[in-house]
Amino acid sequence: MNYRTLNFEKIGETLYEYEHGSGLKVFFVKKPGYNKKTAMFGTNYGSIDNTFKVQGSDKEIVVPDGIAHFLEHKLFEQEDGNMLDKFSKLGASPNAYTSFNQTVYYFSCTDLFEENFSMLLDYVQNPWLTDENVEKEKGIIGQEIRMYEDNPNWRVFFNLLDCLYVNHPVKLDIAGTIESISKITKELLYDCYHTFYTPSNMVVVVVGDLIPEDVFSIVENMIKFKDRGKVEKKYPEEPAHLNKEYNEQKLVVSMPLFYLGVKDNVRVSGFELLKRRTALSIVLNDILGRSSELYNKLYNDGLINDTFRFEVSLDKAYGFVACGGQSPDPKKTAQVISGALNEAAVKGISEEAFSRILKAYQGMYVRNFNSVDNIARELTDAYFNDASYFDLGHVYEKLDISYTNKVISEVLSNQTALSVINPQ
Amino acid sequence: MGSLAGKTMVEKLTEKQGIQFYRLKSDKFNTTRVDIFFVDDLEKERASGNAILPSILKRGCGKYPSITELERKLEELYGADVGGGTLKKGEAHLIGFRMSHISDRYTFNNTRLFDECCNLLMCILESPLTEDNGFKKSVFTKERDNLINYIRSRINNKIHFSLYRCIEEMCHGEPFAIPEEGTEEDALLLTPQNTFAQYKEMIQSYPAYVYISGEVDDTSIQNFIDNFLKAGRGDIKSIKTPDVKKEISEVKRVEEGMEVNQGKLCLGFRTQIDPCSPDYYPLVVYNGILGGDTHSKLFQNVREKASLAYYAQSVLEKYKGLMIVMSGIEAENRQKAEEIILKQVEDMRKGNITKDEIDATKKSLETGMKAMQDSQGAIVDFFLSQHLTNCADDFESTAEKFRQVTIDDVVRVAQNIQLDAVYFLKPKNFKEGIA
Repeated sequence: MNYRTLNFEKIGETLYEYEHGSGLKVFFVKKPGYNKKTAMFGTNYGSIDNTFKVQGSDKEIVVPDGIAHFLEHKLFEQEDGNMLDKFSKLGASPNAYTSFNQTVYYFSCTDLFEENFSMLLDYVQNPWLTDENVEKEKGIIGQEIRMYEDNPNWRVFFNLLDCLYVNHPVKLDIAGTIESISKITKELLYDCYHTFYTPSNMVVVVVGDLIPEDVFSIVENMIKFKDRGKVEKKYPEEPAHLNKEYNEQKLVVSMPLFYLGVKDNVRVSGFELLKRRTALSIVLNDILGRSSELYNKLYNDGLINDTFRFEVSLDKAYGFVACGGQSPDPKKTAQVISGALNEAAVKGISEEAFSRILKAYQGMYVRNFNSVDNIARELTDAYFNDASYFDLGHVYEKLDISYTNKVISEVLSNQTALSVINPQ
Repeated sequence: MGSLAGKTMVEKLTEKQGIQFYRLKSDKFNTTRVDIFFVDDLEKERASGNAILPSILKRGCGKYPSITELERKLEELYGADVGGGTLKKGEAHLIGFRMSHISDRYTFNNTRLFDECCNLLMCILESPLTEDNGFKKSVFTKERDNLINYIRSRINNKIHFSLYRCIEEMCHGEPFAIPEEGTEEDALLLTPQNTFAQYKEMIQSYPAYVYISGEVDDTSIQNFIDNFLKAGRGDIKSIKTPDVKKEISEVKRVEEGMEVNQGKLCLGFRTQIDPCSPDYYPLVVYNGILGGDTHSKLFQNVREKASLAYYAQSVLEKYKGLMIVMSGIEAENRQKAEEIILKQVEDMRKGNITKDEIDATKKSLETGMKAMQDSQGAIVDFFLSQHLTNCADDFESTAEKFRQVTIDDVVRVAQNIQLDAVYFLKPKNFKEGIA
């Protein structure tokens, strides 16, 4: 059996890579002494992939919002029962998630890995949809949507995306709306399945105290489907400007909530994406992190509190940085933060801050390897951006101030948008 | 250190001045951590005072008198973490402080991080910012404002809010009804001086548990312990154990309207079982079968069969012997959902439990017991819980007790589980709108 072994001495980890005949890539990370084993089977298909050419035909279709997530729910259903029950019987806990760009099915277990892993690989290859089971799911997902409608943190986030993006489907709610999911049919779900659930568009990631040959030979035996060719995704042209500067919604909250964001209009992938993501994270940490003077000023002035966070969300198909939390005066706070971001775009980051924060990020990278689940998630996410999570270690070595300052000037000089949730 | 092959062990290092020191042994993690828990009774007059302490102490200390200075130091120590918070376990109020850092072998030049990080932890714990026999006024005032805002913001998360309200109604008049941050009216009574006095009580008289885990040598541990005990302590407070028994004469029903889309239904039950009782293990299995996981009766019947909800589950509060069933539903389905839920509870009582249901639950508990040992935080929490309840079982023997549970055991504990309160957060004809 042919597979590659890559050693990362600094963090004491080993990555095993294998490619199945169908084009499916498999990654395995051995974690000696860990009881838990996690396996993921994911497809590079998420809520943003709503316009595409159906595999094997020339027709380009636009599918209802929320369909990738709907399909995720439905895959658990099989002709001879629900997969959730089957995993339960073996003591494993199965789950799945759908994000903007991926749908991932996974389980974790401590015993009977082979049986569980075989089941995972099998059911994801074999959807079983009926008109009846599709209808039934609408009630369940409807309640999931209703739950998110009442979640102020979720709403403030998506309302911001609606400000940032004019056309890009990243602004659409991952689960869709009650109205959009009502249009989902068995036939549409199969179109999506056959287009995106194809070996070359998917990945398998396994982490745990296992033997690489065992993991790979299960894949060898269980993968039956053939590649259906390259997936043709289509995203609309996204202008550099904002959709709108401000968005406001009223919900039952104790104090206003805000989220402020800036779009990154430069598209990169692979190692470059990891580098850019890290550079932006370091810079935001310098401007807005708990160690920054601005954080302390806003905190002492009572404009922010412990709920304040920032994030860098960078993907092949979209990118933005954002920050926010509770504030008695979102507009004033946003004005101060916007000013600081624009100023940093010109001034750049200091040598001292750069090396101090870089060190902290290296520490966090090491910490991530404490968790079997985190490793699996990060590997999957990086793979779908044509990168390797293990390269992040090299990013920390290669990143320098001049690159970082170039990225700051490209991103932080853009106009900021503000989303606010006000109390009823 | 040799491989412990997935085994997790605890060693009691010493017990002095009401502080128990433990070493948690597991060699697979690449971080080292210290967790300290001070324990107080959960009381209305003291809850806010306890809750505010970690927030004030995290604001800075003698050598690092601001968040900026403290956080920059932590970043230099490879993103070390020093922090704290409060939690309640039954009617015990815990004030926790923690420190963690990556193991020395991952640093550039094998930098020794443990001593420096412990110094930082001790700095925030022992040298807070003070003036006029109290906490520094500006810091205190800000943190009291933040505490009050936090108490008010409970309403933001509707799932937590409905759970909190259900417990508050169900346990009215019992200490367990007191939220871990206390109430707004009690927070308003705090002053820099009376809060500082409570801080001194914590340092000098609350019983405490300390857990050290990860790669660290014995000498460093000993130095840390000696340093910790240096200041000396007074008389150690004794902590009450909660009463898990309650006679229920009538089910309390509370309905509150709010401008939300989804209704939240919470059913509170008394199990009458205390955490040290042999019946605790069948109770955990009972909860698993009823609403613990995707194979459970609630998930299967409320969600999969009736399609009424996205989530329908039951959770146990171990220390107070409570079980809460929670589900998010359309207002019009409230009656139907409650009927289905109560039917499942009734089926448990009647012994309508299949072998598949109990087997799946026991397997999932076994998986959980093993998986817990892959997280340093979960290991600390497991042993803390054992020590608080004076249970001597470790992971292995706890898992064994779950394995021994039979359907008969489950049905036996089911006989004493009684509905006490039903809480419904009811949507007020609310349509979401974006301005």
